[in-house]
Amino acid sequence: MTVYRCVDTLESVFTAIYLAYEEKRDHGDTILSLTNDPILFAEDVEVRPDEEKTRKVMNTLKRRFGEEDCLRLCMALAANDTEKAQAVYRTVVEGLRRGCRPGHLFDNLADDNIHRAFALARGVSTEAGHQKQFLRFQELENGVLYSRIGPKNDVMVFLMPHFADRLSIENFMIYDEKRNLFGIHPAGKAWYLLRGEEADRPGQLQYSAQEPVYQELFRHFCHTITIKERKNAKLQKGMLPLRFREYMVEFL
Amino acid sequence: MEYMVREGEMPLTDKLQVLTDAAKYDVACTSSGVERKGDGRSIGNCVAAGICHSFSGDGRCISLLKILLTNECIFDCKYCRNRHSSDIPRATFTPEEICTLTMEFYRRNYIEGLFLSSGILRSPTFTMELIYRTVWLLRNQYRFNGYVHVKAIPGADPEVIERTGYLADRMSVNLELPTAEGLRTLAPNKHRKNILTPMRQIQNGIQANKNDLILYRNAPKFVAGGQSTQMIVGATPESDYQIINVAEGLYRKFGLKRVFYSAFVNVTGDKSLPALPGGPPLLREHRLYQADWLLRFYGFRAEELLDEKRPFFNVMLDPKEDWAVRHLGDFPVEINRAPMDRLLRVPGIGVKSAQRIVAARRSGNLTFQDLKKIGVVLKRALYFITCSGRMMYPVKLDEDYIVRNLTSEKDRVQFGSDGMTYRQMSLFDDEMFSRPVTVTEKQQVAVGQL
Repeated sequence: MTVYRCVDTLESVFTAIYLAYEEKRDHGDTILSLTNDPILFAEDVEVRPDEEKTRKVMNTLKRRFGEEDCLRLCMALAANDTEKAQAVYRTVVEGLRRGCRPGHLFDNLADDNIHRAFALARGVSTEAGHQKQFLRFQELENGVLYSRIGPKNDVMVFLMPHFADRLSIENFMIYDEKRNLFGIHPAGKAWYLLRGEEADRPGQLQYSAQEPVYQELFRHFCHTITIKERKNAKLQKGMLPLRFREYMVEFL
Repeated sequence: MEYMVREGEMPLTDKLQVLTDAAKYDVACTSSGVERKGDGRSIGNCVAAGICHSFSGDGRCISLLKILLTNECIFDCKYCRNRHSSDIPRATFTPEEICTLTMEFYRRNYIEGLFLSSGILRSPTFTMELIYRTVWLLRNQYRFNGYVHVKAIPGADPEVIERTGYLADRMSVNLELPTAEGLRTLAPNKHRKNILTPMRQIQNGIQANKNDLILYRNAPKFVAGGQSTQMIVGATPESDYQIINVAEGLYRKFGLKRVFYSAFVNVTGDKSLPALPGGPPLLREHRLYQADWLLRFYGFRAEELLDEKRPFFNVMLDPKEDWAVRHLGDFPVEINRAPMDRLLRVPGIGVKSAQRIVAARRSGNLTFQDLKKIGVVLKRALYFITCSGRMMYPVKLDEDYIVRNLTSEKDRVQFGSDGMTYRQMSLFDDEMFSRPVTVTEKQQVAVGQL
């Protein structure tokens, strides 16, 4: 048995998939592991992330399975889960073996690995959707829009294109406090990610004078729009889980 | 056109409160139907699925900045809070105020766009012109590229409505009440004909625009997100059957994207309105929405769901379950064979699950375990389906039995409990009957002690 020891990044997992094919491993007897748990009688292979190999794998996946399914695989790899690398690897192997057409990679949900990758991708996609809904920007003194989020999965890369398209003429920044990760968009330019050190955590921020005014207006709006006769806290909680509320100005 | 700006009369916070309060009963407020990328010069884009940015205390989504332009209305509709004769604070936004609010809320990701409705100020055409000017300003001066939903005011000049349509993503005309009769009694200033005219105009506009777009790819888009409407449920004595028939007619004949149903809330206390001591008819509204989905996505027709003899929906069962138990002859459906349209009629199987089933069964026979993974709600579906010819549990296809199991919580088939029974308990099942009579009892009966 071969065990590829990866780290929790897309590059690392895709490089491992490349190696498994390059070294002609028996796919039924190969594992991609994100942990360092020892496995008996297994040959450990340390994976060094490689940009070239990652790109090749990405291109193959796009060509064989289509843009949408490739995106789903990437989403599955953004999940907060230790088994995700293996699930994605098995899904890819299965897809290539069956020679499935673009857009049909996740058809066979009866397969455990495919279902697992599918479920992980769905979870990440849902969370990215939630963040697009519930993330709130606050205007800083210098006019930059700043937002703090704390997602379970690493959804930053799926948020940035959405907001960069929407607020293309704004300077904005999204800060993932769980991963100390910044998504930065300078007005009119391409966005990029910045992984901060512990010391880089934003401290006391200076907000613009207008900021509290609009927060107050929106709070008023949310309060007034509620129809008293229809009050339904359970439904509200179902649609807007409590964990998002600490980041939302209308619930402060 | 002169427009009076009365400065210093009311602070923006109060204005927003008054005009939000006035708009909150309008439910036709979604941000869906349009996919538009940002253009790099203005703020905003649109996502076809729509985005809800928050949820208010009643569980309804806050997607758009839903406000009235003014609540100084000359009409006197009996159900409406903003009626001419009700004693409430009145306010009017200036177009600039609306634009600033929209832009600042949008930048902060509070909202997906603007929903602008209005009371009738002076005349319908005057009001529509004001709405047009506001949206024009928002689009051209403030460079807003997000979602805009505006009301077409019944009775307004068609020319103004058309101009507005080229700026808005979605337009709606409220039908208010399902029948012309109801409208006559409760809204003396409104006429069915006046409401249907702009609806037809928008429909024709959308159709003509589609043809234009085929010829000229860059032709301006007219109401790209389609039009919607809303009906108030429970203010007048219409039956559910009448309401879904009207809705079906609107989808078929007027090409509407959505029909919304609004459970009536008595805010004016008018004597011609029902009192509703139990609160607004929320369950009825819920059933109507469920039926609406069946009409739009599941290939049901209105007369399949209800008819003259049963004009109201079942309180205990949802419309799909109700239909299924009345048509047990069509069941059970074999998961591994049945065509899409038959899968869609099974309670517990939605559009997504049906698509996944059709995709997954190409790779092999599906079992109940697999259905669970796919997302089928087995506790509802199990009475109506077979996998490779077998049912999940030995249930019998009997209307009473299935209804009992679908409705009552404790009688429901317990999952994973094997050896369960499907027989109904009866008086004669009692074990006392099988016990032989003892000698003491015989003696007691003889002497009259028992």
